[in-house]
Amino acid sequence: MKGSRGSKLPFKRVAAVLAMAASCVGGSAHAGWFDYNDGKVFLTEGVSMADGAAGGGAVPWAVIAGNETRDGINGNVHFTYVSLPNYSALIPGAAIGFFDRFELSAAYAILPTGSTFDTVGLVNSVISGSSTSSTIGGVEPWNTTIKMQIYGAKVRVFGEAIYDSDNWIPQVAVGGFYKINQNKALLETLGANKSKDFEAYVAATKIFFPISTAIDITARYTAANEIGLTGFGGPNGDSRKVRFEGSLAYLLAKNIAIGGEYQQHGNNLGGHSVNLGTSSLTSVTNTLAALGLNGASTALTQQHESSWADIFAAYAPAKNLSFTMAMLDFGNITFTPNQIGFYLSVAASF
Amino acid sequence: MNPIQSFKPLALAAALCAAAIGAGCAGGDPVANRTEGKTPAIIGIPSDSVEKFGGQAGIDVWVDDLFYYILADNRINTIFTTHGHVQRQMALNKELENMVMGGPAHYSGASMSAAHAELGLTLTQFNAVVEDAYLACDAARTPYHVCNQLIAALAPFERVIVSR
Repeated sequence: MKGSRGSKLPFKRVAAVLAMAASCVGGSAHAGWFDYNDGKVFLTEGVSMADGAAGGGAVPWAVIAGNETRDGINGNVHFTYVSLPNYSALIPGAAIGFFDRFELSAAYAILPTGSTFDTVGLVNSVISGSSTSSTIGGVEPWNTTIKMQIYGAKVRVFGEAIYDSDNWIPQVAVGGFYKINQNKALLETLGANKSKDFEAYVAATKIFFPISTAIDITARYTAANEIGLTGFGGPNGDSRKVRFEGSLAYLLAKNIAIGGEYQQHGNNLGGHSVNLGTSSLTSVTNTLAALGLNGASTALTQQHESSWADIFAAYAPAKNLSFTMAMLDFGNITFTPNQIGFYLSVAASF
Repeated sequence: MNPIQSFKPLALAAALCAAAIGAGCAGGDPVANRTEGKTPAIIGIPSDSVEKFGGQAGIDVWVDDLFYYILADNRINTIFTTHGHVQRQMALNKELENMVMGGPAHYSGASMSAAHAELGLTLTQFNAVVEDAYLACDAARTPYHVCNQLIAALAPFERVIVSR
């Protein structure tokens, strides 16, 4: 018991401070530090986006995660599966919403890259002289898996997305993510500048009941390549820039929404070949040519990174359970073009 | 409201917001507190909304259904049964819903802030009524998109009904 005190107390203190801060903002008194509440109306918490925050599928919205109103605390757990021709992604995550004002989220992205990096892996094998255990450049000979931790926080600043149907002021929130990509060596191979970085965003969300439509517009300040899965920055630019993203959702029924999303991406790595440790690719071209891999240098040139687009349908069979299905068009990702696939996400709140 | 006016600089929007919050705190929100006229919802509530609801007779059925669900809702029913007279609340709602959607009815009750001032209502309780409102639309076979016209018309009352 004594041993666990040290670790538990700070968390409780932080939680209490957060709860107090949130209740000050909310302007009302609460009975305890944990005020469970599930008073939100159907689907008004949005769904869980890929980085773990409340939003659409890829875009963070100004809504706060969980089913709580300003009267309490709630949260969700969510799991997302993405299938693309050359990649898949598994993203479990969780988020807590405090008084419909403040949100904390965490997600873990696991991205098996299938055969994408097999060529790089084979080149590595050639260089290292091993057919099974090469990890030069952070690339396994077969199926390299990228892993990334994502921590997020969001605070609702002003506006009321749902009930202020008589003015144009949207609900506005500011938030940020801190992302830690664990494949530092692979990111160096791809030419990315950083494996860890933060992103900041401003989101504006509004529901228009007369046309049963919800709209979100978000500006994100980021240097991410493929949301950070292939690192941050690169030969074409290292600085964070403001990129735009947005969601449009048409409400078919009180528990069904369909719509589309767009997310602007940068192009920090496009046009560049891979860096293989100390050897540049050209220096091993002769070795590759001897193996009949004459085209390797062309095959290992990264494509112009595409912006993301999707169309989705979200269905909430119960107030605290939602399923989101989407068709994705992610275009070019690293060496591979035409990444069109699907997305399935389930979120449960409490 | 003129849609062209909507695209104002963010700073002005923030100032307007602060003004709106100030007005809301003072309990004098002129839009949410009105006792006559259609709700000036952005984009606009279509002029045929009352007709789509089935006219006054359709609104009457919807209000009957709404109170059926409210009185069956253990989260909020005691608020309605211990404060005021349910039959009178139903009669006033039949006038109010017609009025806010642009119908000809005259609403004879007190302003929304005056009617709810003493109750100390939470947003959680307000949202429970919204859920019952959608259930009433289902019961009356009022299409979801028609139901949303009424939701748009009633939504601004949240600012004066819920205690801050």
